[in-house]
This record gives sequence, structure tokens and C-alpha cells, in this order.
Amino acid sequence: MFEATLIYGLVNSVILALVALGFNLTFGISGVANFAYGAFYVTAGFLTWSGLNQLGLPFGVAAALAVLITALMGALMYRYLLLRLRGLVVSEVIATFGVGLALLELFRYLGFIGFEYTLPVMIDASVDIAGVVVDAQRILIVVVGASLAALLWVFTRHTRTGRAFRAIAQDEHTALTLGINTDRVATISVAFGAGYGAIAAVVILPLGTISVGEGYNVLVNALAVCIVGGLGSTVGVIVASLLIGYAQMITATYVDTHWMMIVSLVAILIILLIKPSGLFGQQKELEERI
Amino acid sequence: MSRPVVLEVRGLLKRYGGVTAVDGVDFTLHENEVLGVIGPNGSGKTTLVNLITGFVKPDRGKVLYRGKRISGLPPYRVALKGVARTFQMAKPFYQLPAYKNLVVPLSSPRVHALAGGSYGDRDAVAKDLLEEVGFERDSWVINKAAASLPHGYLKRLELARCMALRADLMLLDELFSGLSLAEVASMVPVIDKLRSRGKTIIMVEHRLRELFRIADRVLVLNFGQKIAEGTPGQVMDLPAVREAYLGSEAEVGDA
Repeated sequence: MFEATLIYGLVNSVILALVALGFNLTFGISGVANFAYGAFYVTAGFLTWSGLNQLGLPFGVAAALAVLITALMGALMYRYLLLRLRGLVVSEVIATFGVGLALLELFRYLGFIGFEYTLPVMIDASVDIAGVVVDAQRILIVVVGASLAALLWVFTRHTRTGRAFRAIAQDEHTALTLGINTDRVATISVAFGAGYGAIAAVVILPLGTISVGEGYNVLVNALAVCIVGGLGSTVGVIVASLLIGYAQMITATYVDTHWMMIVSLVAILIILLIKPSGLFGQQKELEERI
Repeated sequence: MSRPVVLEVRGLLKRYGGVTAVDGVDFTLHENEVLGVIGPNGSGKTTLVNLITGFVKPDRGKVLYRGKRISGLPPYRVALKGVARTFQMAKPFYQLPAYKNLVVPLSSPRVHALAGGSYGDRDAVAKDLLEEVGFERDSWVINKAAASLPHGYLKRLELARCMALRADLMLLDELFSGLSLAEVASMVPVIDKLRSRGKTIIMVEHRLRELFRIADRVLVLNFGQKIAEGTPGQVMDLPAVREAYLGSEAEVGDA
């Protein structure tokens, strides 16, 4: 039992981290809290499903197309909607939440409800780790999660676009005086965030079914991880994912699986009460405020 | 003056609600000139800098840089043409070490093209530039995160950033504000050196004594309007200038 909680807790943590990375990436760079994130996640799932079952594409092609289309949707949302609202934080949140709501409910309207909407696992096998049986899909999730985090780290430190990402994250005006097109960088950051979410969807969704409700769950989980970790902090995402991931798994094991989502919400509440900027957040003024 | 015209500002006007921040300002700047811009607080100096560098769009009028219109272009396009600015409140990349702040402009396509298609050793160039503006070489300050640098160093970093971009026209917005007399004294030769390298400079300043030593020409703003323009000597003797300054600024006595 203990070994199982340990291993499945880790898998659950990586799932949370994978889900939160994209949201955090966009927020950290452009300051946009993309509340359509959960909807993009589900969209990628349905697009992959359609590619597989309606167009008869091989899984890899369907998944790649879904990731690209989702990323493009992110870019278009920024370019044609958010650009006009930049700086009005509440408007940005309402606008992205509206886009997400419209997308998710469109899927419901189109009849994407039911248990037939599943994605196949990529490798149908399982291994035995310390007496605990773990399926290959969960191991793949851990590998993909670690690779994406590593890729992001290399990208932001060793490529020109990545460095521009970090520059505008720290001071957008100064980046502008140095010839950096901050609108373009922000567009790319939203596209990257949406694309990361789509990759997460393609590897995580085979564990369950693709449903409209999952869009809302993913958004709440991503928000919980980012708020607890400190918005914009990659280290924060990793630490918060482990904390919430294990807390959820312990709750699921000893209480009930239905309580897992409550854990995320309680985590948000607790951190907002104790340290509103999050464990590794940069917005220290939240604590200095009287 | 036979030197080529670098900047032409024609009828520039910007309103914020009922306030006309910059009210039909005209001036011409020649290559290698140092122009001082003075005026009381709220006279439109920073708005003028924002208008020239593209951070604010003019309601009327235009800005030409080397004969080509730059008003209406986004700030990053203006910057890539070689027009750089500093901010009155220093705005470094706070989490990066001081010298890495310069690696960002040194990685610009502009610098790449001017250096003949190579970046060279950006870390080394960055450290050279910092030394030039007065950072002690090989000391802890160049490796320290900008967030923890003292004010004087932050201001130097602002200037070094313009130099790293290899800007031809630099707009320095109150570079000397908040610096000690000794710090200003050590910055003046840096500005002189930039002039000797052919740079064109606009300095918005409150530190009149130092400014009048450096500037070739001074432009005086009051309530958004240009009320005078001339050599430092001419400007200081104008009654309108004395009035505008003495009317709202007690510090003119020790400036």
C-alpha cells in the first residue's frame, strides 16, 4: 500500500506538473492568466480523437496535428482578442474564461459526451516496480513530463526566443527599448502554453475519457499548482505539484477519490491565507501590504 | 551647421484628457550634437521622450529619424533603427546579473549586423561596457543580480544598455537624478566619450549645472510648449526660463 501510494503519488504529481507547465509558462512570460487553458486541453483531446476515428490518421499524426492546431488557437486568441485588452487584468481573465466556456460548451452542444471518447494508450504493457504494477502509459507520462520541463529550461536559457521570453518576463518596457517585439513574444508564449497543454492532454487523456468536465478540472488543478508554487515560477510548479500530487493521492487512498479535487481547492485557500504570493512567487508586495 | 540632420520633430502634440502634455513642439537635431531638455516637473519632458521612442503615439505632428518617419512605429522598431533610451526610474532585468543585462541587447539582430554577422564574446563585451560606465572590473557588482544593485549602478546600467545596442541616438531621461555629485562627475566623461565617438544625445535633466557643461544646445519646455532654445549661455539668461524655473523649482539656486 505504501509503495503504491509513493509511486502513484509521483505519477499524479507529474500529471499535475505537466498540466500546470503550460499555464505557468504563459503567465510567467506575458502575464496573461489563460483561463481558456482547460478548454484548450480538452480541445486537443477531441481533435486527436477526431483525427484517429473520423479521419483515420495514425495516432502520432493525429496527436501532432492536435498539438499544432491548439497552439495556433492560442496564438490567434492572443493576436485578435487579448492584444486589445492588454494590461486590463480582469478583462483578460473574463475574455479567456469566455473563450474557454464557449469552446467547452460547444463540444457539449456538438454531442461530444459519452464514454466512447477515449484515446488509446501508446504502449499496452506494464512493469513491476517494488511490487507495484505500473502501466507503461504512466511511465510515459513521467518521461514526457520530465522531458518537457527540461526542454523548457534549455529553451529559455540557450535560444534567442527563449532569452527574449525571460527578458519580457522581467521588464516589458526595457525589452521594447532593446528592439524586442514584445507582442510577438507574448503571442508565441500563449501558443507555447496552449501547445504544452495539448501535449499534456495527448499523454494524460488515455488514462481516462475525454470529457467537457475535464476542462474545468484541469483549469482548477493548473491554477492550484501555480498559485501554491507562486505564479510564473518553474521551481514553484515542481514543488507545488509534488505537494498537491501526494496530498491528493493520500486522500484518494485513505478517504475517497472524489475528494481529490477538494484537495486542490483547499490548497489554494491555505496558501492565499498564509503566503498569497505562493511558495516561490515574485510578487512579494502581496505580503508587504498592510 | 553642415552636419547631417539626425532627428526632426515637427508639431508634435499629445493630449491626455484635458491636459496637453506636449503642445506642438518643433526642433531639429544634427549628428553628434548633445541637446539638453529642461523644464519644470510636468512640463512634458518625459512625454517627449516617449513620443520620439514610440512608447506614446502622437495626436498630431511627426518625428523623422534620418529623414524617415518613425512616429507611429512600435518602440521595438524604433530601437532597431538605432534610437535607444533610458528610463528615469531604472528598469533593469532584475533577476539577471548586471553584465547579463547587457547580453540581451548584445544578442540583438542589430548588433549582429553591425558587427559583421557575428556576436563575438558577448559576456566579455558586456563586462567591457560596464567598466566603461564605471563598474569596477572583476568586482562583485558585475555579477550581482540587478535587483540588489545600488541606485548609482542601476543608472550606469541604463546608459550601458543603450551603448550595448550600438545606438546612434540616445535619449537619456534624467540619467543624473538621485546620483551624488561624485557619481555625476564620474558620468560626465562617459557622455563626453560617447560624443567623441559620433553619438547624438538628448539629455532630459534637472541637474542644470552639469547639463550646461555638456550640452551644445538646450531646449526649454513649460506646460508642454517649447519656450526657448539656444546655447546653454543664451538659455540661462532668458527671463522666461528664470520665471518658469523659479516659479516652481526651489532647487534652481543650487543647480
